[in-house]
This record gives sequence, C-alpha cells and structure tokens, in this order.
Amino acid sequence: MSVLGVQGKWKISVTLLSLLLVFAVMGGVSAQDQVHLRMTVWDTATTPYWQAVVDAYQAQNPNVTVELIDIASAEYQDVVNVMLSGGDDVDVITVKDIPGYSAMLTRGQIIPLNEYIEAADIDLSLYSGAAEELTYEDALYALPFRSDIWILYYNKAIFDAAGLPYPTNDMTWNEFDALARQLASGSGADRVYGAHFHVWRSTVQLPTVQDGENIVIAEDYSFMAPTYNMITSLQADQIIMDYGELKAGSIHYSGVFKNSQVAMLPMGSWFIGSLIAAQKAGEFDFSWGVARYPHPEGVEAGTTAGTLTSLAINTASANKDAAFNFIQFYSGVEGAQVLAALGNLPAIRTPEVLEVFAAVAGVPVEAQEALQTTTVRLELPMHPNVGAYEQILNQEHELIMTNSVTVEEGIAEINRRVAEEIGD
Amino acid sequence: MSSLSLNQTTASPGKRRSQLKKYAIAYSFILPNLIGFAIFTLIPMGFSLVLAFMNWDGANQISWAGFDNFSRLLRDETFRISLTNTLIFVAGNVPLTMVAALGLAMLLNQPLRGRNFFRTTFFFPYVASLVAVAVVWNMLFFPSAGPVNSLLSALGVQNPPRWSASVDWAMITVILASVWKGVGYYMIIYLAALQSIPTILYEAAAVDGANAWQKFRYVTLPMLTPATFFISVMLTIASFKVFDLIMVMTGGGPGRATNVLVVHIYNTAFKEFRFGYSSSIAMVLLFMVLAITVVQFYMEKRWVNYQ
Repeated sequence: MSVLGVQGKWKISVTLLSLLLVFAVMGGVSAQDQVHLRMTVWDTATTPYWQAVVDAYQAQNPNVTVELIDIASAEYQDVVNVMLSGGDDVDVITVKDIPGYSAMLTRGQIIPLNEYIEAADIDLSLYSGAAEELTYEDALYALPFRSDIWILYYNKAIFDAAGLPYPTNDMTWNEFDALARQLASGSGADRVYGAHFHVWRSTVQLPTVQDGENIVIAEDYSFMAPTYNMITSLQADQIIMDYGELKAGSIHYSGVFKNSQVAMLPMGSWFIGSLIAAQKAGEFDFSWGVARYPHPEGVEAGTTAGTLTSLAINTASANKDAAFNFIQFYSGVEGAQVLAALGNLPAIRTPEVLEVFAAVAGVPVEAQEALQTTTVRLELPMHPNVGAYEQILNQEHELIMTNSVTVEEGIAEINRRVAEEIGD
Repeated sequence: MSSLSLNQTTASPGKRRSQLKKYAIAYSFILPNLIGFAIFTLIPMGFSLVLAFMNWDGANQISWAGFDNFSRLLRDETFRISLTNTLIFVAGNVPLTMVAALGLAMLLNQPLRGRNFFRTTFFFPYVASLVAVAVVWNMLFFPSAGPVNSLLSALGVQNPPRWSASVDWAMITVILASVWKGVGYYMIIYLAALQSIPTILYEAAAVDGANAWQKFRYVTLPMLTPATFFISVMLTIASFKVFDLIMVMTGGGPGRATNVLVVHIYNTAFKEFRFGYSSSIAMVLLFMVLAITVVQFYMEKRWVNYQ
C-alpha cells in the first residue's frame, strides 16, 4: 500500500506542519493591516459604477479590499432584511429606498453617523437638502451618494417621423396625454406607442403627489383618481402598452424604449447611464433626448419626484471606522466624480461634478436643462408602517391597471383597507 | 414472531452488546441527516411555534403577545383570502395532477415506440428550474400574442382569457403550470406501481371475461391504491406549501387573486416585519396540513389495499 514507508510519511507530515505554521504566522501579521469590507449592492452586471468607485477607493487605500455582495435588484431589500435579521456582519449596506431605510433604522440595524460626520468635518450642505430628508429624530443614518429625479425620455426618431416637436421642459400632464395620442401609430407587432408607463405603482402615483398637497401615506386617496383616469384611458385606447401584458411578460422598460416601441418614457434619471452604455454597445442607434418631468396644471415646471440612494453602516459590522472612511469617499466629491463620469447623477452636484457629467460621451445636450429642478418631492416619506401601506397600494394598483376594478372602486378599496388594516 | 421476542428477552449479555453495537452502527448512519434536520428544520420549527405567541420585528426585543396573534387572524381579511386561495389551489392541483400522472403512467406502460424518450420528456419539467418554468409559462399564456391564445383565436375563440393578467384566470393558470411541473414525478411512482402488478391477475381477469375497463377498474386501480395513497398525501402537503411558483408567476396577484398562505406568511414576515404574527399563520397552516394528513391516514384502512 505505501511506497513511502512509515518514515517517509512522517517526514512529509512534519514538512506540511511547519509550512502551515509559517503561513499562519504570516497571515496573522498581514491581517493586522489589511481590512476587508463587505458591501451589499444590486445588479453589478448592468450597473458599472459599483465596482468603479470601489476601484478608485482601493487605488488610494491599498490596505482595504471591498467585496461586493451582488443581489438581484427586485429582491434587494428582502435579502438584506433576511441577512440583517440573521445577524450578518456585512459592513456597508446600500440603502435603496426610503421604506428600506425606515425599516432598518427603526429596527436599530444601521448606526447613526452623526459622531463620525462631526469627527470627519463633512459639510452636509453639499448634498443640497438630501441629508435633511434622510434625517430622522435629529440623527442621520446614511450618506446619500446618488440622487435621482424623474424625467421624461423621448425617442427623437419617432417624433421626427410623426413631424411633431420634441417635448418641452414645461409640459403639463394634459399636454403629455394629448401628445402621446398623436404619436401612437401602427398595429400588431409594428405598433408604436405614444408613451410608456412601467408596472411600478410609482409611475402612476408620483404625478398625484407632485403638487405637494398630498403624500402617498394618506387616509383618503381620491386625489389619485384624475391620474388613474388619464392613464387607464390611455391604456384602453392602446396609446400605452397593456399593464397585464407587461406584468405577465416581465417586460422591462429599457427593452421597449431601446426597440423604438415607445415615443416617451417617464422614468428616473438613473436610466441615462444605462442608455448611454447600451448605445455605446450598439444595442440601438436612434438619437434620444430628455426633458423635465411633466407637471400637473398649476404646478411649477421643474417640480419632480426623486429618490435617494445612500450608504449606511451595519450595527453588527466589526469594521465601522474603516466602513465610514469608505462611505465618506463613496458619497464625497471623489466618488461623485467617478459616478458622474459614468453618466450617473451623484447626490453632490458641485459645478465641477456636473461638468464631468455633461462631458460624458452620449449624454444628450438637453440633459443640462432637463436636470435642473425647482422642487424635488420624495417618492415615499418616512413612516413606520410604510411597508404595509405599500402592499395595499401595490395590490390595488394592480387591480385598477388590469381593469379588474374601476378607478373609483380601486380607490374606495384603498381607503377602506388603509382604515381597517393599518394602525393596529 | 413470538419465538423471536422470547429470544430477545433471554439473550445473553454478550448477545445484547453485539445488538447494541448493531444499533449504534445504524444510528451513526442516520446521525448526519438527523443533525441537519434538527438544525435546519426542527429547531426553527420549535422557534416558530414559540414565536407565534410573541411579537417580534426581527431586530428589537421579543415581547409576549399571548393569543393576540391568533385573534388577529380572525380579523385579517388577507388571511381569509389567502386561506380560500390555498384551498382552491389544493382542490385543483391534487386531483388534476393525480389523474394526469395516472393517465401518463398508463400510456407509457404500453409497449410503445420511443417509450423511454417520452418518459424522460414528461419527467423533465420536474427537474427543470422552477423560475424558468414560471417565466416560460407566463410567455406561453401571454395575453395578446402568446402561443396559447394565438391557438385559441385560430380555433375561433372570440375573447380568449387573459390568464395570469386576469383576476378570474390567474389561479387556473398557476394550477395548470403546477400540474405540468409536478406530473412527471408522480407518473414515475405510478409507473413503478403499475409494473409491480403481477400479470397473473390480468390473466385471471381475462379468463373470467373481463373487458379492458373492468381490468382497469377491478385490478389496476385496487392494486395501485398504496401508490395512490402515498401520492395523495405527498401532493396535498406540497400543494398547501405552494409558494415559489406563484411568487414568480404572479407575485400573489393580480391584487390578491393568487395570494396563498405561504405568500401571506412571507409578506407579513419580510415586508411588514411581523415575525410573531407570521409564525401564527404558519402554525395554522401546519395544523391544517397535519389534520388533513391524519384524516388521510385514518381513511387509509378503508380503501388502501396492501397485497
């Protein structure tokens, strides 16, 4: 059985053991300087900036390695919730939206950053109000690094073919409605739709809170009726794609826009970066433009809704200081420049950063004006029960948009369920 | 039998030791599985049972809730809807899958050209990724231009159903997908059972002048009862637990049309962070499945025929 014999085996064992000891000692020494941070993110394959900012940081801080934990965008918050509830010690958590932020903060899963911010002497005014919106009971739990607003994308080729002028930066929803009806043409597989509303609840419900008089946490939702009426009627007339089909086919807004199936697309500014990348990759070759988000009658042009993407530190992290140093870079001017260079709107918008953004090849010339806003309203306000509200709003939105109930019935049902189900 | 037990009670110490050793070997074989089962199933189940009487948001202190969670169930409209939906799913999925599995097994038990190919083909959905299956089914049932509705239109159906995009058809769509996905596995069980029926019984029936239907009714079906019993128990339990297929195909929608109990458990736990309340729903599900299984085992004596 043995070729080596007992002595040979013994020698090998001793050699292996001493080698192991040497490695263990070396590992122990180098581990003291090396910091390994873990960070939760989504869709790394289609979102180039995650790794780009990490690379920029690692170039300056060779002793730190940052590992990205990639999670599918649609399940992001659920997965993070499960990780945190299970006691995972991941260091940096990307905060995708306000419900996630509010849930993690009220459950004590992310730490207040005020002491760190004071110690590092960070000027929060650079975030032009975003930091205030994230402040809860005098404490700030996350630093914003992206601040996206809703704008209107349009396909210039479709407008040119229809002989219609491009959307302006001062367009009401009623004008948008009329324009969409003029743009729709063709039938069957060649149908060109005047506009596109993605399946998210927000695509319909955001315009209803644009005037600032209402928010989506309410008791009476009848303020949503006019927008629902407009969009369901666009759907009934086949000016926009059918909600049920978008849902059943898991159809993404980027596909229909890139395929020239839709003329106008109200969407967040995050889409600029993906469109530029797709155009560069040769996925489509028409020229496109952006305009300000349409606004309700009587509301100032440039009023839009926005979302903040921010970075927080896990309460269970063992490397809080290193993690703060990293998120300070990510959300600071240097991180902002990397983000802007890839066609993303950073939360810090100094003139230098915006110059970097405008210089990116592929950013439409209209962007500079379209991205100027007068008022930005948060998509969802902070509220402890925001998750329960969202579920009701999502379910009833689905019923209205699939024509399972009328707009009035759907809204009456939201009112009834919010009154009955929330609060106990 | 009696002589064996007599031997055991009067066994010498040496014999007993060797017997213990035998048991030890046997236990050591099941131990790895038992440890895994305890850590990943038994302990979490026990925790969930306790949690059903508690309030917990997954992070802060756990507090005692008594029977609050259960009394809340009675007022919870989504729970009522989910319970009804679950029962509808079970009532549709179990008989349909069983009939389809038996039919396929009978068919593929015939001396058929390419029999093994078809057996593999029908088993294939069972091993296919569930997410892929769900997405493909949604494409097949795509309301306007999907293959199913194109076919229906070609056959002259005026307004074909809108399947998963419609409140009325979503549950049926999900059941059909589930039958297709599961039928291969149960078909294999039926096939094995069919092949173990002694041909002598069919010969005897033929001598008695039985026709094909009578052979099926009075020989095949009774001889298949152990398999049918096994399948009905496993399938019922699996149907009560349905989650993944529905989550991918409809997400419980439109509205709450396909919101089953496990989807509701998931939403209460991971969207609303009410782990205690969610555990109480899980307990209701557990006891319901348990009760139905007990009834099935009780009924077993009346109709299952072990030859």
